[in-house]
Amino acid sequence: MSTSDTPAIACQSLWQVFGPSADKALTEALARSGGNADAAADDLRARGYIPAVQDASFEVREGELFVIMGLSGSGKSTLIRCISQLLPGTGGEIRIDGENVIGASKQKLTELRRRKLGMVFQHFGLFPHMTVAENVAYPLKVQGVGRKERRARAQEVISLVGLDGREDSFPRQLSGGQRQRVGIARSLAVNPDIWFLDEPFSALDPLIRRQLQDEFLRIQATLRKSIVFITHDIAEALKLADRIAIMRDGKIVQIGTPTEIVLQPVDDYVREFSKDVAKGRHARVASVMQAGDGERGPDDPGLTTNMTLDAALARCMELYQPVPVRDAGGAIVGTVNPSALAAALQVDEA
Amino acid sequence: MTAVADVAAPHATRLTLGAKAALITALVGALCLALEPVVPWLGAWPKTWVLPMTDWVGAALAWLLGWIKPVARLFSDIMVYPMGWANTALNATPWPMVIGLVTALGWYLGGLSMAALGFFGLGLVLASGYWHEGMNTLALVAVSVPVALVVGGGIGILANEVPRVKGAVQAVLDIMQTVPTFAYLTPLLLLFGFGPVVGLIASAIYAAPPMARNVMLGLERVEAEIKEAAIMSGGSRLQQLFQVEIPSASRQIMVGFNQCLMAALSMVIIAAVIGGFNDIGWEVLLTMRKAQFGPSLLAGMVIVIFAVVIDRMSAVLATERKRYDLRVVWAVLAFAVVFTVLFWSSLPGASEVAMLDGVANSLDRGLTRFTQSNGMALEALKNNTLYYVLLPLRIGLDQAVLPFTWGFMWTPAMSALVFGLGGALGLLLAWRGNVTGGFVVLIAFGMIETGVTNLPWPFVLTGAAALGYVAGGRRLAILVVVLLCTILLSGLWDRALLSLYLCGASVFACAVVGGAIGVASAIWAPVWRIVRPICDMLQTIPLFVFLIPVLMLFQIGEFSAFLAICAYAIVPMIRYTRHGLVDTPEEMMEAAISSGATDWQILRDVRAPYAAPTILLGLNQTILYAFSMLVIAALIGTTGLGQSIYLALGQADVGLGISAGAAMAILALIADRLVQGFAEERRKALGL
Repeated sequence: MSTSDTPAIACQSLWQVFGPSADKALTEALARSGGNADAAADDLRARGYIPAVQDASFEVREGELFVIMGLSGSGKSTLIRCISQLLPGTGGEIRIDGENVIGASKQKLTELRRRKLGMVFQHFGLFPHMTVAENVAYPLKVQGVGRKERRARAQEVISLVGLDGREDSFPRQLSGGQRQRVGIARSLAVNPDIWFLDEPFSALDPLIRRQLQDEFLRIQATLRKSIVFITHDIAEALKLADRIAIMRDGKIVQIGTPTEIVLQPVDDYVREFSKDVAKGRHARVASVMQAGDGERGPDDPGLTTNMTLDAALARCMELYQPVPVRDAGGAIVGTVNPSALAAALQVDEA
Repeated sequence: MTAVADVAAPHATRLTLGAKAALITALVGALCLALEPVVPWLGAWPKTWVLPMTDWVGAALAWLLGWIKPVARLFSDIMVYPMGWANTALNATPWPMVIGLVTALGWYLGGLSMAALGFFGLGLVLASGYWHEGMNTLALVAVSVPVALVVGGGIGILANEVPRVKGAVQAVLDIMQTVPTFAYLTPLLLLFGFGPVVGLIASAIYAAPPMARNVMLGLERVEAEIKEAAIMSGGSRLQQLFQVEIPSASRQIMVGFNQCLMAALSMVIIAAVIGGFNDIGWEVLLTMRKAQFGPSLLAGMVIVIFAVVIDRMSAVLATERKRYDLRVVWAVLAFAVVFTVLFWSSLPGASEVAMLDGVANSLDRGLTRFTQSNGMALEALKNNTLYYVLLPLRIGLDQAVLPFTWGFMWTPAMSALVFGLGGALGLLLAWRGNVTGGFVVLIAFGMIETGVTNLPWPFVLTGAAALGYVAGGRRLAILVVVLLCTILLSGLWDRALLSLYLCGASVFACAVVGGAIGVASAIWAPVWRIVRPICDMLQTIPLFVFLIPVLMLFQIGEFSAFLAICAYAIVPMIRYTRHGLVDTPEEMMEAAISSGATDWQILRDVRAPYAAPTILLGLNQTILYAFSMLVIAALIGTTGLGQSIYLALGQADVGLGISAGAAMAILALIADRLVQGFAEERRKALGL
């Protein structure tokens, strides 16, 4: 077992290049560019190769919810498939609990998947000819777990995702949200340490999506898995993540906490993402506070450092008196209490 | 001719690719026609330039077959046993039991309607008096299908597992599909000797590719995420394949099973031409040769019944998941047993039932009366088509127009008139902006004047290369030319042109008539309600059966063959045309309607262009269907490659059989690639 300071997953200069004998092409390109990743990637592209993931380095700590976000085609799905070794990886290192998995033998990978890894897919990837219970129990079946035992374990996870009573339904009889619950249950069947989720909620309606996000957070709060979560939705990323990596054209452009991404974007690309985000919901007072006992007025609305900006604004507004509202002609037609304004703008924290 | 070229020349700098290709083709054609009197080898390929390729092929194959022969004979000796068992089992089982079994199976798969189909279908077989012949045929199918399933499935899985062989497997399957059915038989005859085993092997060979194809397709189409989920579940490769991928692909595989069954049945019946087995195909052939059309129709009906029952029941496997109450199955079976036991002593022998003999005889008489009383009309129809359409197409107006048929003699002045007319029409089209169309019209007129079989070979090669270049670039053009050159060198060129002519005529007729029916079906739902079951039926009937009615009405000859080919090959044209038109996205239609387009405008401007690639694929299928029927039609008298293949079978001449088969396959392959190329281009242009 790993010690607590070994990261669950550590990627070091990970490359995934598509094209004929990509390994050799990558080595040569890196040699030509003197180790400069950007130059090597351009070199590869010019030769007709596709560097889908270039020089990705990051760590996922134990129990951390690590979100990788990017637009379609940015390489995020390729990256998660590299880490889960659905794709071989062209260069670099992926350490899972300290062991490099690139180039590991087939048996070793199978063993790793049977014990440590679980994965949820965007379009669920359910087996159409198996019932819910059979789907969920399949990872146990391939290991040779007995019928009774696997049914019992399947029942446990099916309850965890709230699908009691649908054990004997077939996937085609379920709604999208229910299907993804089955996908989640199946990925948890072997009680993996590491959990991959590839845009798990993207194919769902907004309402169902939110519901599942909340349940996902609830499950994670009890299980504390090490998670790699892919999404193209900045709001989802900000809501769920401990840390976020933002990808663009195969490169990781920024890694940071949600607040860092929103308030300190490294470039216009990241800024563009956070533009539509209600910053008030994600940034905390601490991020705009000036430290120390500086100059201030007489009012004290009772702000604290970890209050969201929205909440802080509402508190400040409460200090105001009601103000007049005029019609187009300039005549006063009513009054508004500024605190009511702030309350109306505020979205319920889910 | 030259005048047109002169007019076109100034525009040459801004001609489209198609127009350039057409221009070159027209020029080469004109040149050949002009120089032919001086340089005769420009017209017909000289005999002395022919390489004895058929002999080489024959010698090589004989050598190869000699090696395989002992193994083949051993296999054949082994296969005799399961065939004997199947035969005995089917023939010895009392007929009420067989009918009961099929009815029960029908119920289990598809409920009441399938049960009724099974019951009445087999009831009719019994009533026809061909029960034992039918059971013999079924026995052959019952043994050949498992072989085909195992071989085809194995090949499909292998191709899926070893990506390197996939391309090769695909190519072999393509070739196997285009090589005409009869061509298989000749080498098999040498390998396995006369006898039912040849039919068995031939049908297994013929039925394996559709299975392999569908297994490959099914496995390929399993969602990537399902495959990934199986990997991430920690399954070994075998677990992934057999527990996840194959079950997920089951529908497609069932489609393969259905096609496999139908192909096996079709081939078993075709293989009857080599005789030696008292099955239903042989019965049809025998009665047809004796011109006993009543019994022949009756036997044909038995084949159709088998085809329909087998097809519909196995098709259910691919579409419906629901299975029906097993208790009914047991009840039906129990009833059959009780029935058999109770009436054991008074149960008539299956062959003695023959309730329809009277029907057959009166049908025969009625038919004779009909052909006698309407003989003139039928004869007129046949002769008119022959003299005014088929013959000119075959040997050209200059030779087909004789005082005896058309009432006057063709003169060079008339040739000039035809060319002039073509030139004028072409010019008109070119003037209105369609330069390519203009050249094509000119070429078409030239071809009618010359006749397909008299076309100069340089012209054919240039034309094919030009089409290939436009449809698929340089590689396709080179492929087409190389393939055609092998035919040219082999000395089968004349026969190939004959086949091309008959096929071309049928495909043209199918395209016009089938296209019209397809459009009508797309516009008026009631038409489709009538046309659809007919199409279903025509596609289910084994090729062989098409020959019976045309033979009855029009005797042996090219016209009968033409009709048989058309009847079979028209179906895809109808289906694809309708499908393409109906499939137009609703949003596009709504956009057109809200722009104020009339129904006709929508059809012309929106639906037709959108459907064009689909319709081209339909044409492609029609061409392939026509080629496969062409060989079968050789039985009722066609000339060309089909006849050669059939003759080779009779003389056990492997060299000729395989060469002619290969030539046929080459023609089909070229047609296929060309049309696919155009379809692909259209699809790309539409961004599909």
